[in-house]
Amino acid sequence: MSLSLGEQLKRRKPIVFRQHHHEGEELARNLTTFQLMMFGVGATVGTGIFFVLSESVPEAGPAVIVSFLIAGLAAGLSALCYAELASAIPVSGSTYSYAYHSMGELVAVIIAGCVLLEYGVATAAVAVGWSGYFNELLDATVGFQIPQALSASFIPGTDGEATGGLINLPAVVLVFLCMFLLLRGATESARVNAVMVLIKLGVLVLFVVIGLSAWNGSHFDNFFGAGIGGVTAAAGTIFFSFIGLDAVATAGEEVKDPQRSLPRAIIGALIIVTTVYVLVALAGIAAKEAGWFSTEEAESAGLSQILNDVTGSTIWGTVLAGGAVISIFSVTLVTLYGQTRILFAIGRDGMVSKRFTRVNPKTLTPTFNTVVVAVVVALIAGLVPSDFLWDTVSIGTLFAFSVVAIGVLVLRRTHADLERPFRIPGYPVTPVLTVLACVWILIKLPAITWAIFAVWLAIVIAFYAVYGRRNATLNTYTDPEEIAEPRGEEDK
Amino acid sequence: MTILLGFSPHQDDTGSLELACQLARSDHDSVHAVTVVPRAWPTAVAGDTDRDFRLWAEGEGEQCAAMARELLQEHADVPSEASWCSGRSVPQTLLDRAAELEASLIVVGSGDEGPHGRIFLTSKTDRLLHSSDVPVAVAPQGYWAGPTARVDRATLGFRGDDATWSLLDRAAGICSRVDASLRLVTYAVRGRTMRPSLVSGSEEMVHTQWVRQAAAEQAAAVEHLHFLGFADDRVSSVVAVGTSWGGAMDRLEWNRHDVLVVGSSSSSNLLSRVFLGSSAAKIVRSSPVPVIVVP
Repeated sequence: MSLSLGEQLKRRKPIVFRQHHHEGEELARNLTTFQLMMFGVGATVGTGIFFVLSESVPEAGPAVIVSFLIAGLAAGLSALCYAELASAIPVSGSTYSYAYHSMGELVAVIIAGCVLLEYGVATAAVAVGWSGYFNELLDATVGFQIPQALSASFIPGTDGEATGGLINLPAVVLVFLCMFLLLRGATESARVNAVMVLIKLGVLVLFVVIGLSAWNGSHFDNFFGAGIGGVTAAAGTIFFSFIGLDAVATAGEEVKDPQRSLPRAIIGALIIVTTVYVLVALAGIAAKEAGWFSTEEAESAGLSQILNDVTGSTIWGTVLAGGAVISIFSVTLVTLYGQTRILFAIGRDGMVSKRFTRVNPKTLTPTFNTVVVAVVVALIAGLVPSDFLWDTVSIGTLFAFSVVAIGVLVLRRTHADLERPFRIPGYPVTPVLTVLACVWILIKLPAITWAIFAVWLAIVIAFYAVYGRRNATLNTYTDPEEIAEPRGEEDK
Repeated sequence: MTILLGFSPHQDDTGSLELACQLARSDHDSVHAVTVVPRAWPTAVAGDTDRDFRLWAEGEGEQCAAMARELLQEHADVPSEASWCSGRSVPQTLLDRAAELEASLIVVGSGDEGPHGRIFLTSKTDRLLHSSDVPVAVAPQGYWAGPTARVDRATLGFRGDDATWSLLDRAAGICSRVDASLRLVTYAVRGRTMRPSLVSGSEEMVHTQWVRQAAAEQAAAVEHLHFLGFADDRVSSVVAVGTSWGGAMDRLEWNRHDVLVVGSSSSSNLLSRVFLGSSAAKIVRSSPVPVIVVP
């Protein structure tokens, strides 16, 4: 290998676009701003709000409402940065690929680690949350509950108490169910997404209306009791529930006028999502005192429990659990899919085995990739308690988002002339502010999360040193066509 | 060995007969046209109605066989005969007859409900495709080949898995025998993107990879065909790209005397019978040329 290590770590994947999509038909630019906004809402709502109160209220108390606003602001700014990078380098593979093209191989490897952690653990976390609501729904409808041993992990949570569990079986089954759908090539269409959005928003509005009807002003006493530290720490936990907002940016290539549509869709989705979250938090705290959220009751199917307690009947809690079971299923499918495709992009660059990019001739899906991802995610979902999952997702996401914001700054300097269908408003303040917001939340995350993150990154970098460095596609490529990404005809 | 032609005189379409003669001419084979008429109830003592029905069915059968013979006269160079038989189920009777005659291939036409020039699978054909252990050829609606037509080129649906590799060998054997060229085609139909997609260009990425993978498999297959003695000009390969099966099919160029050969889904392996996979069914429906489905 003639390249020195330093050079290799810094080398960037060249930005090469093909002027045409290969022989096939053009990707239609037909998404409307409203549809994009729905993608943002669809991808975001459901990743956390159904479960996150039980983790964040104990940290911040009633001021968790402010934590939601902080997390929302950071997520919104990050999504805008994401949109600029996505439109400037319209390549497949998202954050990881943007980093490879703009900041070099080492940063790309680190981002790969972050994103794999983000999607992998998010899928597991969502599946664990689903399991709680599924059990609640079973109990309310057929009067049967999956025993504790089969619906909780054997590892004690952050409080150190024994769980009485063995494995979270419903979560494992859900992940495998999604795996089978993905292996068959099933996808969620824009229409199904719209239905899911309606279900999610419907049950959350139901929660808000009933929750607010049980308003108890005294629950808001000592509003800032947890201090700014608690509020920021909770924002870190909550940040997890804003992942998916960047989904808007990934569809940027399919909209007619990105400069107009992207910010509108991102900000529109952000406003809807944040409003819903704040209202849910407000209704939750109005109905239950902050202390309740740290109880075991609140941890599984928390929102349903609140409705049951407020109304004294199980009807509304069951409706909410039903809505959650349906919509969280779709979130699990979408995030698991995201994870397989990120790994596909990494495999394509030779950083992991090419087997991850092997497409099954029959189903035209990456079978090996999907099975490996599902098995790993199912293990995490089945064996790791949710307490450890949320913050781990947040740290990966925040880290990746910070790098995206830095990427915007770097690319403006290194490739000033690059065509950018969407330019971030308020440059350079916005990306700098994004980095600051992300870092501020990052430093407040608990030490255990940082430890998990550090160990994971060490593994990723070690793997790169042993495998990726030698097998990177860039080592061997001779023809720009090999790495060229198709780009629409109108970009000529 | 012979080619069994499922002949239905009530349709104003002789596509199946044309195709059967074209295939037989290419492979120096014979054609046996079979018409299936309804079987009478097996009553112990046939009453007037039953007897009348049986007589009508026999007359119908004779008439159809005569018509088939007349039409086959136009292809005098192909040895042929025509017969009729009675049965409860047309596809099952054809299958039984094919077994009796040791037919190497069953040829049927398209229903008259589909568009002209395309294949429309009737319920009978569908049943035949799902339970035949010999290849089944289906002619498009209104197919006409001409009295001297032979198969010039076979296009083989090739996707690079074990099943299509073994199909490749069989197809190569037949093409050498009938002196036809062989074109390998792999379909690359872009999957629908997950909505919302968390990863940019997620399906585009998989699609591009599949196109590359398919091209590599095809290159290996072409190499294999060269090894089998096919000259350069008799082998070609193409990856048909599209966002739908119809779109991918439309991107292919077709010659007048082409046939398309597709394997059926092998995983079912139910007594090695034809079991149409979802891809094969889509290919058959959007093909502008006759299709031979091989179990």
